[in-house]
Amino acid sequence: MMDKKIFILAGIAIALIIAAMAPFIASSNPDGLESAFFGIFGAKDLRGSTLDEEMAGTAEEEVTAITGNEYSFESPFPDYSIEGLAKFGEAAAVIIGTLVVVGIAFGLSRVVARKG
Amino acid sequence: MHIPDAFIPLPQAAVYWIIALIFIALALRWARRELSEEKIPLVAILAAGIFAIQAVNIPIPWGTSGHMMGAALAAIVLGSPFAAVFILTLVLIVQGVLFGDGGLTVMGANIINMGVIGGFVGYYSYRGLLPVFKSPYAPAFIAGWLSLFVAALACAVEMAVAGTFPLELGLFSMGLYHAVIGIIEGGITAFAIYLIATARPDIMADTTVVPA
Repeated sequence: MMDKKIFILAGIAIALIIAAMAPFIASSNPDGLESAFFGIFGAKDLRGSTLDEEMAGTAEEEVTAITGNEYSFESPFPDYSIEGLAKFGEAAAVIIGTLVVVGIAFGLSRVVARKG
Repeated sequence: MHIPDAFIPLPQAAVYWIIALIFIALALRWARRELSEEKIPLVAILAAGIFAIQAVNIPIPWGTSGHMMGAALAAIVLGSPFAAVFILTLVLIVQGVLFGDGGLTVMGANIINMGVIGGFVGYYSYRGLLPVFKSPYAPAFIAGWLSLFVAALACAVEMAVAGTFPLELGLFSMGLYHAVIGIIEGGITAFAIYLIATARPDIMADTTVVPA
């Protein structure tokens, strides 16, 4: 059985390695929901692999008109990118995100569990 | 399947938030009662791993990609569907606020799909299948696949209620893509459980034992 401290460090190390590699290995194809959306709004065939960029833009305007939800939020690292830094910025962004998640998960768990 | 803001009207998004908050409250109660000092690092590792693996979009056919959700894994390893709600909520908040991945007004719907539905379907299908297979790996694979597939269908229904997708075409498209993405979910869920059970059999002792 693995030592408890080593297990924790190994777990976080694996997460950070995945985070660092993610931008280099991840596919930039639309995900399942986006693909369904583009298919339904005519920017892509259900089983086709090409996306009509122009139609995709129109689709986004159309859906906003349907739902009326115009809320938009300027996140600090949109789409896991850091301005001016290409792929390495993305890797840094995912690593930062992973560390933030670790911090919040540890902190919140400690605070909540302590009340018991 | 992170829903962006534009896909759901605000009043409906508010309803999803209210439902999500009820489950978040229940997840916090679970954490207060069940989260021992021993398990806290495990929550942090799972949250970090799930966040990182969600950034890895794997290509599937039809010009599409998909990534793991992780709810079934979290629920199985920590022994409660509320563990998935707890962890996926944290992950979704960081993704939405820092990276604009998934809308903020619609985050309630994303928490319901990926945390609540993913966690409950993953956990209970795993528990139900464990006595049938007498080994944790096949049940973990099926639970992972089913958790993602059902969450995707729920998302399609929400899109239909929102007026964004027609119901049948939405269910068909979401079902088709996520039936394939589910293979990724199931495979990584089973593999991660193998890794954890190998490194620390004590952690998995409660959840891999076949009920008599």
